[in-house]
Amino acid sequence: MSDLPIIETPVEAEAPTREQERSPGTMTRWITAVVLLALVLIFPFIARPIFPSYNYVMQLGIVVLMWIAMSSSWNIIGGFAGYISLGHAVFYAIGGYVSGMILIHWGVSPFLTAPLAGLVAVAFGIAAGLITLRTRGPAFIISTIAMLFLTLLFLDNWEFVGGTDGVNLPLAPFPAAWLKVPFYYAMALAAIGSVYLSYRVAHSKFGLGLRAISQDETKAEVAGINTRGYKVAAFALSAFFIGFVGGIWGYTLTYLRPVAFLAIAIAARMVLMAIIGGRGTVAGPVVGAVLIFAVDEFAVRQFGETSLNIVVVGLLLLIALLFFPQGIVGSLRQSGKLPAFLDWD
Amino acid sequence: MIDLVQVLILGLLLGGVYALMASGLTLLFGVMRIVNLAHAALILIAAYITFVLFDSLALDPIVAVLITMPVMFGLGVGLYLLLFPRIEGTHRYVEMTVLLTFGLALIVEGLLAFIFTGIFRQTRPDYVMDAIVIPIGEDQLFIPTGQLYAMVVSLVLLAGLWAFLQLTRTGRAIRATTQNRAAAQIVGINVRRVSALAFGVGLALAGASGSLVSFIFPFFPSKHWQWIALMLALIVLGGMGSIKGAVLGALILAVASAFVQDAFGATWSPIAFYLALFLILLVRPQGLFGAKLRL
Repeated sequence: MSDLPIIETPVEAEAPTREQERSPGTMTRWITAVVLLALVLIFPFIARPIFPSYNYVMQLGIVVLMWIAMSSSWNIIGGFAGYISLGHAVFYAIGGYVSGMILIHWGVSPFLTAPLAGLVAVAFGIAAGLITLRTRGPAFIISTIAMLFLTLLFLDNWEFVGGTDGVNLPLAPFPAAWLKVPFYYAMALAAIGSVYLSYRVAHSKFGLGLRAISQDETKAEVAGINTRGYKVAAFALSAFFIGFVGGIWGYTLTYLRPVAFLAIAIAARMVLMAIIGGRGTVAGPVVGAVLIFAVDEFAVRQFGETSLNIVVVGLLLLIALLFFPQGIVGSLRQSGKLPAFLDWD
Repeated sequence: MIDLVQVLILGLLLGGVYALMASGLTLLFGVMRIVNLAHAALILIAAYITFVLFDSLALDPIVAVLITMPVMFGLGVGLYLLLFPRIEGTHRYVEMTVLLTFGLALIVEGLLAFIFTGIFRQTRPDYVMDAIVIPIGEDQLFIPTGQLYAMVVSLVLLAGLWAFLQLTRTGRAIRATTQNRAAAQIVGINVRRVSALAFGVGLALAGASGSLVSFIFPFFPSKHWQWIALMLALIVLGGMGSIKGAVLGALILAVASAFVQDAFGATWSPIAFYLALFLILLVRPQGLFGAKLRL
């Protein structure tokens, strides 16, 4: 047996990575990363003396970090692999309900159970992915919508979790002045984690495979990529941080209610943020999340919390799809004008 | 036994209306490969127009069909020319249409919510509360008049659609475009014009069904998500693009959901649609009739 010649397969011998090709930007990228990270981490300390309405400002921070985590996570399946899911709010709901129900029944803080919520979302993602990912293209999109409504139907009718009325959660036991800070850091952890995950995926053989699937799935399969395994893995991975932030968000809301998590508008917003920023890029979903959040905030300030906000979301989606379908980061890169500090791939 | 017949009748009556709702959706996919996620939202526009006409002028919802159909036809032609020529020939065109019409649905929903608020609405012509009672031995069968009228009008319109597609020159051009877009262009059909027209026809059907559902179901601005999920389920069952399939899918699923409702209560009735959608996509993505949806 041992006489058989062992043919070494050059797995690691790939073409030079993009980093090596474009080394001049590497420094800028590192500086950007460190500066952004530092800003996110010390923000609660800077904001304290500056803003009189401290908790409100912190709440804005919580929301924007949450959306960064969600759109970056969605981007793994929707951007890299090109499988557009309109049902990712399901993982958000699962996260919220797992952490929330544990809090009610065993009194364990969602700050501890959020990773578990993420893992449950991943498990659900594997199961759902095995089913929905048997379809492609528009059939996949439709099946994710069905997944969302099916989950909504179950939560609405499940008395144990309170049905349509949901359940109330106890308030977080923190002093009012610092109430928002732990939530902020939990969301920051999720946002940083999901961007890092997205970066790692983009730079791995796995990410390369996903991009091949997005370009031409049949050819990718012929080239020896386990497309089914890759897709299910990407689907499940994208669920983790969405489940995580769902757990934290339920605690912030202090209640669980199906429509608070499973609205199609929530799923839409993740998709919109990733598309406007540039799906399939690392920086795109972050840029999109910040931008859409800012537009939203502005609209609410100017016109109040009206149903016109959803009109703005829809209009932005139309404009992005019609005029720059590759998103801000994607379009800038194509025209070679992408500043190095936004080039995270 | 009589109960089951009653459930069957109710299911079939609703099925006729569902068939009309979905006929436009399947036509758009057949002719232009557009998966119109905004279809139910557009039906909702027609329902609100009907509601306003009923509320202010006491116009009968069935008569309102004569108004909503042309209005929605015009809106359809306009929307088509505004949105779709621009994305023709893009990579992953069908997915683009899903996202584009998703955005459209959000816009329509937001505008409706802004104008009409989230209150439940329903038009209530006199015949809605009536029912035809058929005595059978000691038991009785109820046929709600409103749903009966709605189904009859639906069937008439579907027959009209069939005649239009089979017998007129334009109808033949639409069918040719459905079968093979490039070949249709080669034999001299103005494909863009035919597409705009077909989009208009699809939305005119949406308009008619909007007027009819206005007295069958209570509606509110975000109601269209339930409707679109249900319509997608039945056209996927029938085979996307096939009008015959849509009608059959509508009847099958409406009856199935009526039985689910009878057995488990009204809240569970949509589950028939979602589960059917999942199963069909997995087992037979091409549906009963029609082309494969895998692209």
